[in-house]
Amino acid sequence: MPYLGGEETVRELRRALSNPNVQSDPLRYRNTILKVIRTMSQGVDVSGLFSEMVKACATVDVVQKKLVYVFLCSYATLNPELSLLVINTLRKDCQDPNPMVRSLALRNMTNLRLPSLVEYVEQPLTAGLRDRAACVRRVAVLGWAKLHNLHPSSEIDAAVVNELYSLLRDPDPVVMVNCLRALEEILKEEGGIAINKPITHHLLNRLKECDIWGQSEVLRVLQRYRPQSEDELFDILSLLDSFLVSPHPPVMAATLSLFLSISSNLPVISLAALERVSGPLLAACGSGSREMRFAAVCHIQLLLRSVPGLLGPHYKRFFCGYAEPAYIKERKMQVLVELVNDENVAMILDELKGYCTDVNTDTAQAAISAIGRIGRSYSDRCLQILTGLLGLKQDHITSAVVQTMRDLVWVCPQCSDTVCLALDGCEETLQDIQGRQALLWLLGVYGERISTAPYTLEVLIDRVRSEASLGIKMELLTATMRLFLCRPAETQDMLGRLLHYCIEEETDMCVRDQALLYYRLLHCGIEKTREVLQGRRSDPSLGVLIGRPAKPVSQWARCFNTLEPLSQGAVEAESDSRGSPEHVTYNSKPNADLSDTLSCSHIEEVHSGAEKIEEVDCAWIEECVRCPAVLHCSPQSLQAAMQLVNIQTLAFTPQQMLPWRVYLYTHTQRSHSMDAPNTTLILGELLCTGEANQKSGVKKGTADSEAGAEGKEDQLVRKEMDATADRLRVSEDGQEEEEGIKVILNQQPKDDDALRQFLTILITVLNTLSSEKD
Amino acid sequence: GVCHSGSSASISPYPVASSSVTPTLTMSPFATSMNLLYCLLSPHLSNFASKVLICRNYKGDVDMSEIDHFMPLLMQHEEEGLLCPVMSHGNVHFMWIKHSNLYLVATTNKNSNASLVYAFLYKLVEVFTEYFKELEEESIQDNFVVVYELLDELMDFGFPQTTDSKILQEYITQEGAKLEVAKSKVPTTVTNAVSWRSEGIKYKKNEVFIDVIESINVLVNANGSVMSSDIVGSIKLKTMLSGMPELRLGLNDRVLFGLTGRDKGKTVMMEDVKFHQCVRLSRFESDRTISFIPPDGESELMSYRINTHVKPLIWIESVIEKFSHSRVEIMVKAKGQFKKQSVANNVEVRVPVPSDADSPKFKTSTGNAKYVPEKNLVVWTIKSFPGGKEFLMRAHFGLPSVENEEAESKPPITVKFEIPYFTVSGIQVRYMKIIEKSGYQALPWVRYITQSGDYQLRTNV
Repeated sequence: MPYLGGEETVRELRRALSNPNVQSDPLRYRNTILKVIRTMSQGVDVSGLFSEMVKACATVDVVQKKLVYVFLCSYATLNPELSLLVINTLRKDCQDPNPMVRSLALRNMTNLRLPSLVEYVEQPLTAGLRDRAACVRRVAVLGWAKLHNLHPSSEIDAAVVNELYSLLRDPDPVVMVNCLRALEEILKEEGGIAINKPITHHLLNRLKECDIWGQSEVLRVLQRYRPQSEDELFDILSLLDSFLVSPHPPVMAATLSLFLSISSNLPVISLAALERVSGPLLAACGSGSREMRFAAVCHIQLLLRSVPGLLGPHYKRFFCGYAEPAYIKERKMQVLVELVNDENVAMILDELKGYCTDVNTDTAQAAISAIGRIGRSYSDRCLQILTGLLGLKQDHITSAVVQTMRDLVWVCPQCSDTVCLALDGCEETLQDIQGRQALLWLLGVYGERISTAPYTLEVLIDRVRSEASLGIKMELLTATMRLFLCRPAETQDMLGRLLHYCIEEETDMCVRDQALLYYRLLHCGIEKTREVLQGRRSDPSLGVLIGRPAKPVSQWARCFNTLEPLSQGAVEAESDSRGSPEHVTYNSKPNADLSDTLSCSHIEEVHSGAEKIEEVDCAWIEECVRCPAVLHCSPQSLQAAMQLVNIQTLAFTPQQMLPWRVYLYTHTQRSHSMDAPNTTLILGELLCTGEANQKSGVKKGTADSEAGAEGKEDQLVRKEMDATADRLRVSEDGQEEEEGIKVILNQQPKDDDALRQFLTILITVLNTLSSEKD
Repeated sequence: GVCHSGSSASISPYPVASSSVTPTLTMSPFATSMNLLYCLLSPHLSNFASKVLICRNYKGDVDMSEIDHFMPLLMQHEEEGLLCPVMSHGNVHFMWIKHSNLYLVATTNKNSNASLVYAFLYKLVEVFTEYFKELEEESIQDNFVVVYELLDELMDFGFPQTTDSKILQEYITQEGAKLEVAKSKVPTTVTNAVSWRSEGIKYKKNEVFIDVIESINVLVNANGSVMSSDIVGSIKLKTMLSGMPELRLGLNDRVLFGLTGRDKGKTVMMEDVKFHQCVRLSRFESDRTISFIPPDGESELMSYRINTHVKPLIWIESVIEKFSHSRVEIMVKAKGQFKKQSVANNVEVRVPVPSDADSPKFKTSTGNAKYVPEKNLVVWTIKSFPGGKEFLMRAHFGLPSVENEEAESKPPITVKFEIPYFTVSGIQVRYMKIIEKSGYQALPWVRYITQSGDYQLRTNV
C-alpha cells in the first residue's frame, strides 16, 4: 500500500480532508488527519496536503492540533509561503486561556524552523517568558535557543538575554534549567553563560529541586566556575557530597566531573572523591541495563589509571555473567587485569581461564591476552594455563595463545624455556596470519632451543609459492635468517631456496627487497649479520615493574562523563598488544605503545601511528651527569623520586649491576601548543657502564651503534620499526667521564624548550638522590 | 621528599587542556543534548531492511536520513565482533538500546554524556511501557498519537523535560485519543509543589499496600564455591488514599543505611539506597525517618542493595556426564537451605543440555521435568518446595553418533523461585503512620517476598 499507491493515497486523503461532511464531524476529521500522519511516517510524501492541513489547524480539539503540528513541522521548510498562514492561527493560540494550548502553539511556532517567520515569533516568545504558567515559560525559554540556532550569526536582543538570566530565579526548576541550556546556546560564541559567584550559589542551592536531567545539566555548567577562596571551595564540595554518591549514574558522574574540575589543584581532594565515588560506580556496574553497565565499566577504567588499587577488593564484581554481551566482557577483563594482586590472582586466573573457551572467539582471545598480561607479573601460573589451552587444539585459541606467548616472552625473557617447550606441534593447529606470524617470530628468536624449528620452517618454505600473506613471507625470511645464525648446518639449504625464490620469483617488492637486503648482508659476513638480526633482543637483566604507574587525574578528567571513554580506542594501548613486540607484523598497529592518542577505530589508529614516525619531528640529546651514588639507590626509591616529577620508569637493571640502566618516559606539554597534538613524549635512558667495564663498554657501544645503523637501513625496508627504540641503541658511544651517568633523551614530536626543561628537572632529581646517598 | 611539587608544576607534563581528543569526537562544552531520536523495528532475517516506526528531529541540525547508516553499521560491527552501544558514522554518534524487537536510537554530534543518554532511552522505555503495558511494534502503531504527544513532552530541543510518567499521565491520556473537545484541564502537577501527586484524589476505603521484595543474585562456581552474591531489595507501594496524606515508614533497627557510614556489627548494611523523589531526603539524613507524601497508585518507594555473603537459598548439586556419540546423563540434587517453616513456590531448575541431544527420559523425586528443545534446557518444576528438604532429578538423553563439530558454550544452571513471608536481609516494616488533615483512618498492609534474581550455578560440562 504505502509505496505503490502513494499518489492515490494522497489524492484520497485530500478528497477526505476537503469534504465538508468530514470537516463538520470532528471525529471523522481527526481520524482523517491521523491517517495522514500515519501515511507520512510510513515514508510517503504527503507534503502536497499542506494547504488542507493548514486549514485543519483551526480547531478547538487539542489532540487534532498536535497532529497537525507534527505534520506542519515536518513539511514547513518545503512550503515557507503557506506556513505564513499557520502563523496567524499559532499566534491566536498563544492568547488562548488554556496554558496547554499556549505552550503547544509556542513550541510548534519555533519548531517550524523557518527563518522567515522569526519576526512573527519574537513577540509571542517575549510574552511567553512572562507567562503565568510554568509550562509556557519552559517552552518560551528554549524557544529563544531554537531561534538563535536558526540564525547563529544574528545576535539575540540583550534585553532577552537579561530576561533569561533573571529567569534563572524562576520558581519552576525546569524553567531554570532550560534557561541555562538556552543561554549556553545563545552565548556559545562568548563561551556560554557567565558563571559567577551569585549564580553558582543560587544554582547549587536549588540543585535538590531538579530532576536528574536538570541536576546533570547544572553540574556540567558549574564546571566552569572557579571558587574564589579555599573556604568557598570546601563549602561547595561539602554541599555536593551527597550528589557524589547519588544512585543515579548520570548525576554521580556529573558530580565527580565537577569535583575534579574545581579541585584540580588539590590532588588529595580529587583522590578522596574518587574513593567516595567507587561505591556508586560499582553499583552502576551491576545495573540492570547493559549499556549503563558498559558505561560504568569504561569509566572505572579511567579511574584505575590514577588509583590502580582502588577496587582491588571488589574484583569479583568484574566477573562476567554468562549472558553478558562481548563488549562488556572485554572491558571487564581489562579491569580484572588491572586489579590483580597476590591475594586474588588465583581466583582471577581461574575465572579468566573459564572465558578462554567462550563460544565467542573475540571474548576467548581477549581472555587469553588478559592472562598474558597478568603473566608479566605471575608468569608461572599463567604459562601453565596458556600451555594447557594449547592442548584443546582449537585454531583460534592456539593462535591467541601463541601471540600472547610471544608478547610475554618479549617482556619476560625468563619465560622462554616454558614457551619453547609448549610450541611443539602448534603449527598444525594454527590457521590465521597473526598466529602463524607469532609462531615464526618465536621460532626465529628461540630456534636454537626448539628442536623441530628447522622442520617447521622447511614445510613453510616448501609452500611459500602458494602463500598469500605478505606478512608471513617477511616473517618467514627473518625467522629463517635467524635460525641460520644459530643452526647453520640444518638451515643453510632451505635458506638458500627461500632467498632464491624471494629474489627471483616473488612479485612483491617489499618481500623481494627484504630478501635482497639479507642476501647482501650475508655477503658482509656472518658477524655483521648477527649484529643486525640479533641486536634487538630484550634484555633479561631488566626487571619489569609490576603494576602500572599511577597517572594524574587531570590526564583524563576532561573526558570523564562523555562518550570518549566508551570508544574502543580509548582503552590504553598497553592492554591490547596484538602486534609483535618488535612491531614486525604488518597488521599490527605500529607505535601503539607509544601513542597516547585516542582513536575511535582501528583504521584511524593505524594511520595516525604511521604518520607519527616522521623522522624530522624527533629530537635527541645526550648529557653526562656526575652523580655516582645514584647507582646505589634502590630501584624503588628511584622510581618513587621520579614519579614525584611525573617521570615514569619503564624498566631498570638491578642495583649496582653494570652496565646499569634505567629506561624512563614522560609526557610533557609543548611550549607552543597551538597545533595538535600538544603533548610530546620523551623517552630516556640512563646508562652507567662503570669504570671497570669502560673499555669493553666502549667497544660494545661502537658495535652496537653500527648495528643500530644497519638497523636503520633495515627499518627503511620494513617501514614500521620503531624509530625511537632504535635510537636508544645508537646512543652508546663510550668516552663518558669516570663514574658519570649518561642521560640520553629522545623526544617526539620535537620541542626543544620542553626537552631542556625536562633535562634540568631530571638532573636535579639525580643530584638530589645522589647527595642523599652521600 | 626528594623533589617538590614546585618543580613538577614548572614542567607541567600533563596539560589541562585535553590532549587526547579523538578526531571524530569533537569536544564541545555544550554536550548533553540529543539531536534525533528514532525507534526502529529490528530487521527481519529475510531482508535486512529495518523500518523506522517513529522519528523525532529535536534539533534539526542532523540530517534525518542519518539513520540509514545505523543498521548497516550495526550489522558490520556485529560481524566483526565489535558490537558496542555507541557507533559512529562520520561525526554522528548513534547510541542505541534494544527493547524486544525495537531499537531505540539517539543520535548526537556532540561528545555527549553517555550515561545520561542511555538513562533517557531507558526512561523512554519505562514511560511507554507504563502507557501501553508492552512496548512493541503493535503498541506503537496503535497509539501513534500518544507516542508523538509523549515525545514532544519528554524532550524539547534535545533536552529532557517532563519525564515522570505519573505527571504525563495527567494530561496525555489514551482516552485523549478518543474525542473530547477542548479538553482543557490544566494539570496541577506541572507547576505544583508536590509534582508527583495531584490534589483532590478520593477513595472510599483508604488503604496502603506495602510490598517488600528481595531478589537474590548468586553466582556459584563449577566447584561449588560462591563467587558472588547480593540482595537487591525494593519496597513498593500501592497507595489508595484520599487527599494529601503524610506517611511515615519505620523499618527495624537491624537496617542501617550505608549512607551513614556507621558500622555496628550485626546489622544489615545497605548500599545504593535509592528513594522515590517523594521521600524527604533532608529528614532522612537527619533522623533516618522515611517521611513522604506518596504518589497515587503504584510506585517504588525505595530500592537498595546489600552486598553480602548469602547462603544460596536453593542449593544445586549436579553431575552431568557426557558420553560422546552415545548419551548424556544428568543428575541434579536441589536442597532448600532456608527455614523449615517457609516454602518456596514455583521453583524452576533450568539445566542446560547439548543442542544435539535427543530422546529425553526423566525421573524425579518430586515435581516434573520437561525438555525445552528450542532453548536446549531441561526445566524441572517444583510447585512447592519446603525448607530443609532435598529433591532429586535424573535425566537421560541420547546423543547422535555424528557429533556436532561446533564448540558449544557452557551455560550455567539457573534457578527461579519465590519464597513468601520471608526476607533474606531481615528487613521488616515496624510501622506505617498515615496522617491526613481530614483525619480518616487508613490501613497499611505489608507483604514480604524473596525471589530469585540472577541465580546461576556453573557446571563442569
